Amino acid sequence: MAVFDTPQEAFGVLRPVCVQLTKVQTVENVERLQAQLQKVNAAALQELQEYVLFPLRFTLKTPGPKRERLVQSVVECIRSILSVTCVKKQDLLHELFSELCTCLSSPSGLKRPPPQSEEVKLTVIQALQALMHSAYGDILLSLYQPSTLPHLGFAVSLLLALAEQEKAKEIRTSALKCLQALLLHCDCQEYHRLLDKEESQRCGDLFASFLPGISITLSRMITGDIKQGHMITVSAIKLFYQTVGFIMADEQLRRFPEKKEKPRVEQSRIADLMVHRGPDWVQSTADKLSLLIHKIVESSSVHQHWKVRLELVELAHHLMLKSSQSLVASVGQLLKALVGLVNDDSPKVRSRSSEVLRSIAEQKVITENRALADVLSENLHSLATALPRLMTSQDDQGKLSTLNVLLGSLKLLGSKMNIVLNSTAHLHRLSKALMQVLELDVTDVKIVEERRQGELPASLQHGLQKGQAQKKYFRFFTDERIFPLLQQVCRVLGYYGNLYLLVDHFMGLYSESVAFRKQAALVLNELITGAAGLGLDVLHEREAAPSMDDLKGTITSILEEYTDQANWHLVTSTEEQEEANDKLAIPPSRLRALTEGAHSSSHVLSSAAALEPNPTIRSMNSNIWQLCIQLEGVGCFTHALGKEFRVLLMSALYPVLEKAGDSTLFISQTATGTMVDICQACGYGSVQQLISENTDYLVNGISLSLRRVAHQPHASRVLETMLRHSDASLFPLVKDVIQDVLFTLDQSYDSQAASFLRVLHSLMAALEVFPATAEEPQGNDTGAEGEASLPAHAQVAKDVMERCIHLLSDKSLRVRLKVLDVLELGVTVLHPHDNHLLPMAHRAWPALVTRLINDDPLAVLRAFKVLCTLAEKCGDFLRQRFSKDVLPKLAGSLSSQAPVSARAGPVYSHTLAFKLQLAVLQGLGPLCEKLDMGEGDLNRVAGTCLVYLSARQPMKLQEAARSVFLHLMHVDPDATWLLLNGVCCPHRYPPPHASLRPVQLSGMGRPRGELTDNVLHLLGELEQRERAMLWPRTQGAPEPHGPPPP
Amino acid sequence: MRTSPGRDVMQPVTAHVTGSWLPGRDRGARRSSSAVLACQEQPVECRAADPLPDQHHRSAGVTRPPGHRYFWMIATMALPPPDPEFVLRGTAAPVHTLHFSCRSQEPEFPILFSGSANGLVQIWNLKTHRVDKTLDGHGGKSVYWVETIRGRDELLSQGRDQKICLWDLAEGRSMVTDSVSMDSVGFCRCSLLKMAQDRWLIAMPADDPDEVQVLELPSKTSVCTLKPEAGAKLGMPMCLKLWQPGFGACPFLMAGYEDGSVILWNLSMGKMLSRLACHQEPVMSLDFDSEKAKGVSGSSEKVLSVWSLDEQQNLKVHKTHELINSGISDVTIRQDRKILATAGWDYRIRIFGWKKMKPLAVLDFHTATVHCVSFSDHSRPSERLLAAGSKDHRISIWSLYNQT
Repeated sequence: MAVFDTPQEAFGVLRPVCVQLTKVQTVENVERLQAQLQKVNAAALQELQEYVLFPLRFTLKTPGPKRERLVQSVVECIRSILSVTCVKKQDLLHELFSELCTCLSSPSGLKRPPPQSEEVKLTVIQALQALMHSAYGDILLSLYQPSTLPHLGFAVSLLLALAEQEKAKEIRTSALKCLQALLLHCDCQEYHRLLDKEESQRCGDLFASFLPGISITLSRMITGDIKQGHMITVSAIKLFYQTVGFIMADEQLRRFPEKKEKPRVEQSRIADLMVHRGPDWVQSTADKLSLLIHKIVESSSVHQHWKVRLELVELAHHLMLKSSQSLVASVGQLLKALVGLVNDDSPKVRSRSSEVLRSIAEQKVITENRALADVLSENLHSLATALPRLMTSQDDQGKLSTLNVLLGSLKLLGSKMNIVLNSTAHLHRLSKALMQVLELDVTDVKIVEERRQGELPASLQHGLQKGQAQKKYFRFFTDERIFPLLQQVCRVLGYYGNLYLLVDHFMGLYSESVAFRKQAALVLNELITGAAGLGLDVLHEREAAPSMDDLKGTITSILEEYTDQANWHLVTSTEEQEEANDKLAIPPSRLRALTEGAHSSSHVLSSAAALEPNPTIRSMNSNIWQLCIQLEGVGCFTHALGKEFRVLLMSALYPVLEKAGDSTLFISQTATGTMVDICQACGYGSVQQLISENTDYLVNGISLSLRRVAHQPHASRVLETMLRHSDASLFPLVKDVIQDVLFTLDQSYDSQAASFLRVLHSLMAALEVFPATAEEPQGNDTGAEGEASLPAHAQVAKDVMERCIHLLSDKSLRVRLKVLDVLELGVTVLHPHDNHLLPMAHRAWPALVTRLINDDPLAVLRAFKVLCTLAEKCGDFLRQRFSKDVLPKLAGSLSSQAPVSARAGPVYSHTLAFKLQLAVLQGLGPLCEKLDMGEGDLNRVAGTCLVYLSARQPMKLQEAARSVFLHLMHVDPDATWLLLNGVCCPHRYPPPHASLRPVQLSGMGRPRGELTDNVLHLLGELEQRERAMLWPRTQGAPEPHGPPPP
Repeated sequence: MRTSPGRDVMQPVTAHVTGSWLPGRDRGARRSSSAVLACQEQPVECRAADPLPDQHHRSAGVTRPPGHRYFWMIATMALPPPDPEFVLRGTAAPVHTLHFSCRSQEPEFPILFSGSANGLVQIWNLKTHRVDKTLDGHGGKSVYWVETIRGRDELLSQGRDQKICLWDLAEGRSMVTDSVSMDSVGFCRCSLLKMAQDRWLIAMPADDPDEVQVLELPSKTSVCTLKPEAGAKLGMPMCLKLWQPGFGACPFLMAGYEDGSVILWNLSMGKMLSRLACHQEPVMSLDFDSEKAKGVSGSSEKVLSVWSLDEQQNLKVHKTHELINSGISDVTIRQDRKILATAGWDYRIRIFGWKKMKPLAVLDFHTATVHCVSFSDHSRPSERLLAAGSKDHRISIWSLYNQT
């Protein structure tokens, strides 16, 4: 585009338009000049700079009112010239500077923004900006003389007014940018000459006069309306700290003498304007600035936009770096801002502020600067003092920022925090605040209600998932960011703080009052996590981490406290409460008298349960939470120690497993999560592996607990959990303790039967699944003992069944039902060993019969199931007994119940009577077959079931009855055929020879009745079977209607 | 169902304490009977959680001796029998002998050696409660005596394969470096006495059934053979205890024989000094306190015999203690000579005060005959443990009376 490279050529082109413009000052002419300028290259234009500027300046200087449009185009043209050329003469610079400024002068002075249009303002600002950049070398500095102070002052106020009061964002930002350039802090890409010390000193002197104006206006802007957009706030902050940092620089102020220098300035008026930056001035200015900084920090630290907060970090950094001495009063404020931002939501702000803090820490600004360390400790002191109050009075947002500040100060102080913590009063305050704010909301009823239903969550069975902490709800806050922050606070305390001191203190709180127990446990868990250096980031490494042994010792003592009876066996459900009460035959008053006489902690469990009249839902909920927190604590501890925790499993695993078997869903979930944590930290591949490799510890715990009546339910829970999580490999180790269980059961049939039956059930269920694999090693084992070649697992099953026989007549229905279940499993396990099973069946028989004929229908139902299984396994061994003891009664009840069910409506199928009928009908068929029953019994069964073939019976009973006949067909097809035909005979059977009498069946020619359909169906089925049997032999010579031989 | 002589016959061991004025010995429930009392210097605990005291009341109501109220107050408030500290499982065979090695300092951990009927010697780490190492050197035949020498670097084990093995355990090794064979087929355990640095005496049953042989280790040279005079009819030696009145003094041997007598032998002369017929049945085990010149022995009868040695080196019965159930398979005096423990055929471990044979506790845990009891050699008395090994394959570890 530039076609005119030499000044001569350019002159030739530009001259006419310049002349024209000088003569006639119109927008068109200016634009023409502008157009021609485009064609001239920069070097040539530099030569002609003054020449070209002349007509433009002339236009501006022409007296009289000017059209704005013209002014704008002229200024624009000047800007474009300046942006490619240098101003090499002082005079020109000065003149242009004042001419441009005058463009925006307003008659009303500087109070209000100039009246010109926004375009003009913007252009002028940009031209000024260009001028500042085009000044050549030292020339620029000539602008900064005492003599030019008024000009500068005018420009500064003008720009400040524009920046503050204009509406257009663009003008405001450009004004700020221009001001930045004017104050020699331009941060654009172009080259800027660096000032030497002398020069900056001089400029500093000059700018000091503007400081009040600049700082007040800027702070007003910074704290102003949020709607102005973050860019303006950011620029304002930047300008603020650059200016303040420059004028208040420690380096400059250090060189100021006490006395004011003799005014060497010519004009006294100007001398009056000048500021002497002596100590007094510094002091008073710093005081005023500290107010402004306070305001800025207050508003910016909670500004919504992260860039603003980031700029605040820069502000703090800059001022701390440049003027930490002159602004010492504000340092506390700045640090507070910084530490508060260390935990900002925005990662950039977070990283930058911690970087800044780290650099400050590294430069030993804090540690070596006694004043700063004192400031921080003082902050912490006062924060600790105010914390309890703040935690109750502030809203969530306030808590968040308070805690942020707390966390930041702790991090910054590092190990120096111990000075504060060593003061009992302050530690007390701090812990009190934590106890207050961490108070849990324990009103959720669901937690108490939800029960564990047998099986475990699927996730656990498949693989390891990170044990997730239960979500907690707090009384005094709802914001989800607060709890992680509190955790961080505790971890940092654990990281730097004196671990013994802190653990001691919080253990004290833990045991001091139930009100603090949960919170203290929460804090302790995090302290340990922090002490292990997990889950936190810090500004600087601690000097000495606690040794593994110290950590282990601390954890051991906390664990002891957590799993102490009084803290571990809490009432969490109403059932437990009742059970506990049942066990206490002694009235509470006497008990109390006894315990008071000989106080001991080991019996607090039962006595506490007795003394507490009726636990409310709330207190149970609170107990559940406490257990969960303690369980989570075990998880934290295992992560803190890693594989070193394996030694502690000796005492820690048992309680965890006990809780995994808890009937409260919430607790068992948490405990399961803890087991997963242990697996991860200690390097076990699965929960199963964890259990099988530590079976010895668990078995030890179980066998010792079985010796104490009060602990027996816990032991059975642990064993249940073990069995639930393991396979055959566990059996040899568990065998030992099962003997203990059976022995204990023998000691206490009355009180403990129910809880032990649960274990026996789990045990038998486990045995049923893995007999094949467990067989071999045990075979040898028992062989040595001289036992009649019964494998160990079957021996156990036998032992268990023996107990079951006793318990079959227990007075509690629940126990009886459970026993029947166990018995059934036992039969299955013992099945391959007939010479043990049959005597057992013989012994169990009387009690079983009583269940069958004289018990609650529920028990009858189960007992019948057991009978079916038993029949399946024992076969004809039971034939006689069945037909003598049971069948008459069963048949009788079926017959008597038949009319009832025939008449009943649809609801009947939900009754127990129906279920019983159905079960018996379904079971009778297989029973007949397995027991190989005699003719009389079969007839009896058939006769009884016949009525159930009635179309009036419920569909399911009809089906079941049909199934009985289908089984009977297997046993004796002929008799069944005859019986069915006696009811209804669809065919005639002509005698093959006339000499034979015709076949007469009683069902012949009968009208269609209620039984007809089912009988026909059955006969059809029978026919098909016969045919299927005959077919292969007769080679396709069917004799379809041949009657079976009589 | 397990049964034992002791379990079905409900004899109150409480009688040991209160026996002098409690009529109707057989009245206590089994559990409470084992809840032995005594040692009232310890803080008294209430057994509120246990419904059994109530049962006690009922049973006591039958015959009320004078002062019964006082008794039941003690009974209800007395300590429940302590539980084992922990139980070691996994020997997979009856345990016949136990030996602690806990004296060495950190970082070495305390260990316990166990010898069992399957011929294995197991080394238990008492920190993890697990077997660190298993030594198999007796061809599957019962190991019934183990003892360490040179700290824990070397181990002697005596087995039913008629061999005494010397194991090198230093630096993680575990191999038999030497062995002595015996011809005796009895159950008599050896006895070891340290004479000087790297010089020991070992007493063991000799080839001839009624003789005892004393060897010097490690040279294995015979020091003497102790042969009873003809016609003494002692039968086989059953248990041995080497001792010396002071370090460097002439060593003696206490030996219990099949005929129920305990004999003091002078080793340097190879001469019987005294013979005391203190049991009707074979002496199963004995221990001797050389400081008080007093010893104790147990046999298959119901009697624990305490005897003393006077200045003329004559043994005489000091006291006998009647037990409820017969059969003592092991008796050991603790190193501090304050208490002694017995291993009973009635599945129980009994603790007595050594000074007056005051019964202190009956420890009821095992479910079969207890074969051996052993006290640990922890240097700090408060850490001292008692271990008992039983036919039920378990080793129970107890922490008892170690606060004084």
